[in-house]
Amino acid sequence: MAELDSRYTKPENYVNRELSWLDFDYRILEEARDKSLPLFERLKFLSITASNLDEFFMVRVASLKDMVHAGYSKPDIAGMNPEEQLKAISEKTHELVGLQYSTYSRSLVPALRQNGLRIIAAHEDLTEAEGAYVDQYFRENVYPVLTPMAVDSSRPFPLVHNKSLNIAALLQKKEGGDEVDFAMVRVPSVLPRIIEIPSEEGRAVILLEEVMERNIQSLFLNYDILAASPFRIMRNADLTIDEEEAEDLLKEIEKQLKKRQWGEAIRLEIQENADKRILKRLKKELNIHTDDIFAIGGPLDLTFLMKMYGLEGFDHLKAPKYVPQPNPAFLNDDDIFTNIRKGDILLHHPYESFDPVVDFIKKASKDPDVLAIKQTLYRVSGNSPIIAALAAAADNGKQVSVLVELKARFDEENNINWAKMLEKAGCHVIYGLVGLKTHSKITLVVRREEDGIRRYVHLGTGNYNDSTARQYTDCGLLTCHPQIGEDATAVFNMLSGYSEPLHWNHLVLAPIWLRKRFMRMIQRETNHAREGRAARIIAKVNSLCDRDIIAALYEASCAGVQIDLIVRGICCLKAGIPGLSEHITVRSIVGNFLEHSRIFYFENDGAPEIYMGSADWMPRNLDRRVEILFPILEDELKKKAMHILQVQLDDNLKAHVLQPDGTYEKIDRRGKAPVGAQDTFCREAEAAVREAEESADPVNTRVFVPVESDD
Amino acid sequence: MATRIFAAIDVGSFEVEMTIYEISGKNVLRQIDQLRHVIALGRDTYNTGKISYELVDEMCRVLGEFAKVMKSYQVDDYRAVATSAMREAGNSHIILDQIRVRTGIEVRIISNSEQRFLSYKAIAMKEAEFQKIIQKGTAIADVSFGSMQLSLFDKDSLVSTLNIRLGVLRLRGVLARVQADARTEQSLVEEMVENELYTFKKLYLKDREIKNLIGIGESILYLIRDSSGVRRGDRISAEDFLQFYNRLISMSLDQIEEAFSVNADYARLMVPSAVIYKQVLEMTGAEMLWIPGIRLCDGIAADYAESIKCLKFTHNFDDDILTASRNMSKRYRCNSGHIQQVEEHALQIFDAMKKYHGLGARERLLLRIAAVLHDCGKFISMRDSSQCAYHIIMSTEIIGLSHKERELIANVVRCNLENFDYNNDILTAKMTAMLRLANAMDRSHHKRLAGCRLTVKDRQLAIAAPAPENLALESLAIEGKADFFEEIFGIRPVLKQKRRF
Repeated sequence: MAELDSRYTKPENYVNRELSWLDFDYRILEEARDKSLPLFERLKFLSITASNLDEFFMVRVASLKDMVHAGYSKPDIAGMNPEEQLKAISEKTHELVGLQYSTYSRSLVPALRQNGLRIIAAHEDLTEAEGAYVDQYFRENVYPVLTPMAVDSSRPFPLVHNKSLNIAALLQKKEGGDEVDFAMVRVPSVLPRIIEIPSEEGRAVILLEEVMERNIQSLFLNYDILAASPFRIMRNADLTIDEEEAEDLLKEIEKQLKKRQWGEAIRLEIQENADKRILKRLKKELNIHTDDIFAIGGPLDLTFLMKMYGLEGFDHLKAPKYVPQPNPAFLNDDDIFTNIRKGDILLHHPYESFDPVVDFIKKASKDPDVLAIKQTLYRVSGNSPIIAALAAAADNGKQVSVLVELKARFDEENNINWAKMLEKAGCHVIYGLVGLKTHSKITLVVRREEDGIRRYVHLGTGNYNDSTARQYTDCGLLTCHPQIGEDATAVFNMLSGYSEPLHWNHLVLAPIWLRKRFMRMIQRETNHAREGRAARIIAKVNSLCDRDIIAALYEASCAGVQIDLIVRGICCLKAGIPGLSEHITVRSIVGNFLEHSRIFYFENDGAPEIYMGSADWMPRNLDRRVEILFPILEDELKKKAMHILQVQLDDNLKAHVLQPDGTYEKIDRRGKAPVGAQDTFCREAEAAVREAEESADPVNTRVFVPVESDD
Repeated sequence: MATRIFAAIDVGSFEVEMTIYEISGKNVLRQIDQLRHVIALGRDTYNTGKISYELVDEMCRVLGEFAKVMKSYQVDDYRAVATSAMREAGNSHIILDQIRVRTGIEVRIISNSEQRFLSYKAIAMKEAEFQKIIQKGTAIADVSFGSMQLSLFDKDSLVSTLNIRLGVLRLRGVLARVQADARTEQSLVEEMVENELYTFKKLYLKDREIKNLIGIGESILYLIRDSSGVRRGDRISAEDFLQFYNRLISMSLDQIEEAFSVNADYARLMVPSAVIYKQVLEMTGAEMLWIPGIRLCDGIAADYAESIKCLKFTHNFDDDILTASRNMSKRYRCNSGHIQQVEEHALQIFDAMKKYHGLGARERLLLRIAAVLHDCGKFISMRDSSQCAYHIIMSTEIIGLSHKERELIANVVRCNLENFDYNNDILTAKMTAMLRLANAMDRSHHKRLAGCRLTVKDRQLAIAAPAPENLALESLAIEGKADFFEEIFGIRPVLKQKRRF
């Protein structure tokens, strides 16, 4: 055993998580390059690769840089120290960016043009009439909001904001002097980046920074403009808060937010034909390393493509909009509590609508029998109906406890506002837990009914966010199972600072119990396989990078357990390696919806168990967060959950399968009917509604149900 | 609504706990919510004799939150009790006042015997199992933070009970003062426990055969949490427990935390707790350990449910109290024939006088106990038996009686022979009058008035003797007690003897 153990944890059997993440971005980029997709969908995918990369730099690269500065050189699970990682990342990201822009300019721009949309890459390409139009636009809309900043001996180099797009220029005084001055102007984020201009044939758009560059002379009237070029920087944005010392977490985060724009510069993007002197100056002032400079052959910050997707018209170039379908359990006139009492309900978003969840809280806020509503909130949408319902509930005299996680990355500012509002409305608001992020998604409604207290619980894999619920694939369980209700009460008691319950019935919580539970369940399969009994694991997660879990999976594979993993993003496990993981398959599905649900299947010698939860197989989820894993108990729902997994395993359209050499390849479909998991779910959800409606239709049942008075 | 929501609050030595129950008519108590907050009141009390302000403040904050939760559940009623840490704290009345003012919660300090009695009621809620187990010789070991209670059941009723100041927190406190390695520490605990238990064994156990041990109290709940798969409500054989014990004592603190998934505070209490149970198992020779997994709050709720007639026990707890008193009287070699007779007379008087004294079933039980114990002082001194009886009663725990009730009985017994002190309250006076008369009715210790009939008529309590015997002693004695009786009730006892033809 001992010798085996060491093999399972050897660094060479692991993939570095950052590089694996970049592979994920590559897979999204591949979608952008897939000519079989509607053109505008491809724009969207390209935009996503860009915004993903931004976040990657701000968080992951930034923290690696911090490690290097701090002299921390401990290798990661793949045996790479921070410096080596940064080097590898730099290489791979440069390649990725190259591919992004070649996709943009060689494939997408020509295709758009063919379809009647011209992107004017440089202001020099404008016709005279177009030029006149943009100049007028500049004078009326842009000029008033600009703040040009020149640098000289009396004016220091200005602060360049994180993620902001700027134009740098070199100036020379008109009358005499060889002195070359540096100047800068920020491309205002309050104005739309894309400007549509009247065009003689088809439609045409130009980017704001091009319009500004064309008119830059008007900003520096007494100067000659020698050169001008847009650039963009990324700063270290990872929050490291010392909570023990922070008297008031709320204040601390507000302070940190202001500081965020001041972090060290870690990436500079600049147009590839920029003037050498501009580049040199920026490099010096921002103190940035050559490896961190990206020379871009196209417009900076491709996230504007998301706005482009939103252009009116072009509907024939977009995937038809899918309307989330109601879950058949709600196709009746009963209220939501009655429907839950009929049996547990498993929701599969976005195929099935998120409305029941919002409705659940809304109804609870008004129901006179409801005593209390308790909920954890991680990320909420702007103008969230859930927040409004919680506030209303407090108004109606219900006891409302809300745990608002202030540390939800990049959402802090948003969350602080909501939290304050809820507190004003009379809710009991808990601002997170010291040292832990609360990532679990759970809602508890306590209701005093005719036959006693009954608890209704919603457990989910995704956030209580009605707008992302239309784009993320997630699962949610509505139940009034008394034992789950008991556990849910205990969860909120723990979140309020009380001792752990004496025992749990069904829920498993991180950071205390979850890791051990997963390990036990994996090992149970291993033991079953060794004893020649049925053993299998299917797990769908967003990331897999926990060493212990991976080692246990390797061990299980060696014992003969068939393991099928559906991992959207980071996967530090190597699949299909003889003598290590030959029974493990890994696939990643990248589709129109963001795969987000976490589902776990364990064969358990013929008595299968299916769990869902908020946790990925990552150390941060298992050790530093409050997460909940919940079982699916009812047979019908188990079948539904298993079906979700099976369809994903059958997917041969959008699935990328991890090869033993570490690359991801799409499946060779020759001779097979194409199966797209997300499409299948869309169709099935629609069919389920049709079926339910038909079976309730008296014409089909051939039985008339008379309506009589009750007595 | 058909259901009632009840909150039970236990201010314990190590934790403050509130459990919310739903009581629905048909003998069903359902636990709905449980809030526990670790606060080591006991550490303060056992070390310094009082509870520090910081802890009081924390406790008030927690109880304040409890009050809010109670409101949110719209509870119909609540009971809040405090146990040993508060009981022994010198400043307890100040704290109670603080709590009342700051949270509105009325906390009542209960005596040890009341506390244990509540626990038994909680066990008895598990009707079937409980009734089955106590058919054989059974001991209950209730190990809490401050002390432990050992009680013996025999043939369906409680025979004796004893409180030993041997709680896990207290043991920990003692150990904290000695520096020793883990091994010596554990043998030290074993010795301490053994010494204490030895006395119990000699006095009470003798040759009673104990088959079963019921383990209750906080610490045992944690002991059964390890991965061995034992759950609350389970039975464990003595061998299995010993195996478990040996495994436990070989573990480091870290391992204990891991294996039982408890925090360091609890982990430190695991070994002392296991030692106590192991020693008790060995001493009693019990073969089986049953862990019903009940908590004090369950007892509070059961007691409450019984009081509002929503719960009926098969087990008769009044009998337990009586049996415990009878055993006590036996221990002090009281004349059992006489005792029985006095008890009978006391009840006759009580029942005949019902309209005039206005007392209830509980007082009837107390009078009975007073009758049973009225003679126990003679064991110590024939001359000064009243004083001795008073002290014996005051220093012996009688399970199920509150401190106040025990004091009442002690006073009644003392006044049985001594002059009545009019500073006593009216209840004491009434009971004393009845006990005196009952005692007088068997003055000769020959049960001459057995089977007599008592009737109240024309401001007289007529005692009709059944047989024409020589009742000179009784007659004299009754006459002697008649003035006091009349003074209290306005009714004069008169002995009526049938004429001899």
